Amino acid sequence: MDIVMTLHELSTAVGLSPARLARLVRLGLIESSGPEPYAFTAATAVRLRRMLRLRRDLHVNFHGAAIIMDLVERLDGLERELARRGPEPPSTPNLEVTEIWIRTD
Amino acid sequence: MAVKFRDYYEVIGVPRTATAEEIKRAYRKLARKHHPDLKPAAERAAAAERFKEINEANEVLSDPDKRLKYDALGQNWKSGMDFTPPPGSGQAAPGSADWEDVGDVSDFFASLFGRGAGRRGRGGVRVTLPGSDVEAELTVTLDELLRGGKRRLQLPGGHTIEAEIPPGVRDSSVLRLAGQGEAGVNGGPPGDLFLHVRLAPHPRYRVAGDDLELDLELAPWQAVLGDEVMVETLDGPVTLKVPPGTPSGRRLRLRGRGLPRANGERGDLHAIVRVVVPERPTDAERQAYEALKRATPAAGNRPVSD
Repeated sequence: MDIVMTLHELSTAVGLSPARLARLVRLGLIESSGPEPYAFTAATAVRLRRMLRLRRDLHVNFHGAAIIMDLVERLDGLERELARRGPEPPSTPNLEVTEIWIRTD
Repeated sequence: MAVKFRDYYEVIGVPRTATAEEIKRAYRKLARKHHPDLKPAAERAAAAERFKEINEANEVLSDPDKRLKYDALGQNWKSGMDFTPPPGSGQAAPGSADWEDVGDVSDFFASLFGRGAGRRGRGGVRVTLPGSDVEAELTVTLDELLRGGKRRLQLPGGHTIEAEIPPGVRDSSVLRLAGQGEAGVNGGPPGDLFLHVRLAPHPRYRVAGDDLELDLELAPWQAVLGDEVMVETLDGPVTLKVPPGTPSGRRLRLRGRGLPRANGERGDLHAIVRVVVPERPTDAERQAYEALKRATPAAGNRPVSD
């Protein structure tokens, strides 16, 4: 479930003009639920803020920042999946198995 | 107030004789390594602390005026020593903005350069700025998710707020509380609060979307003959009918015992059968299994000589 934000709300939340946001949507760097009217999730706001910080601090462009976010989100997903599976079930000790070979010829 | 000296050269990892170019290179390398936005959620907070230190060191060493002032303190200071600033320090340089910087700097930095001397403190114009957004984590247990309602939580800034837990939130959902971030600067609007939801791991259930999964251990005879067993759900114990001939790994669904959805419905609870074998059967059990063995036609993988 996600909280939906309008273009204007996203604009104030991240400090980018609505026109620039629309451009980022056209470039596919952030996702909206439809072309217009736009509807964004709070997760998009957080993602965008992180992209802006990466741009400012690491001098990557928007495309680079979007790729980084995709990779970090994948990493987050993997870590959540690991946590979801919980601790490994206690492993049963390996049993010594006696094999009897049967000749088939 | 005791202020601890910070060795900015040590933080950046360059000698005191380093050129501006060397400092820039070392800083960029550290920023690439420690930037919190490059880290998965679990490591972000620690990285943010480290990155703040790195930025502060860079702020001083990459600015010729600040570096000169810092170098003038002399070489005998070591990280963590109690530090008293020379007289006249701590005033914001003339021409710097008349509002307090929102980004926080260490007390050591402030004692030398003033609080307003940070990255956003230059410019000299009176600006109206919206307050920074605040991000925080909200750990929710499965029970809290089911009951819903309000949760008090303490924010990094110290103040407490009440957040409504919507029934449909899941792990990694983001909630936005408009206007609950930091206060604006010079009358600017306050920032927003973004809450990243984490579902606390449950000892019994695993979360799969709207559904819950739990392991249901059965004895071989229960799996073969069928049985009625007690299963703990989030709503309390229920009786589950295990049909005869239930193989290990089968999912038995308890409709509507999963997590609440935004529309008021509930997901399902899946009991996943695990047939467990008695490691030390009693004599009676052993005899019963012997009888079972005699009654069972030779399985495909049993030697026929038997």
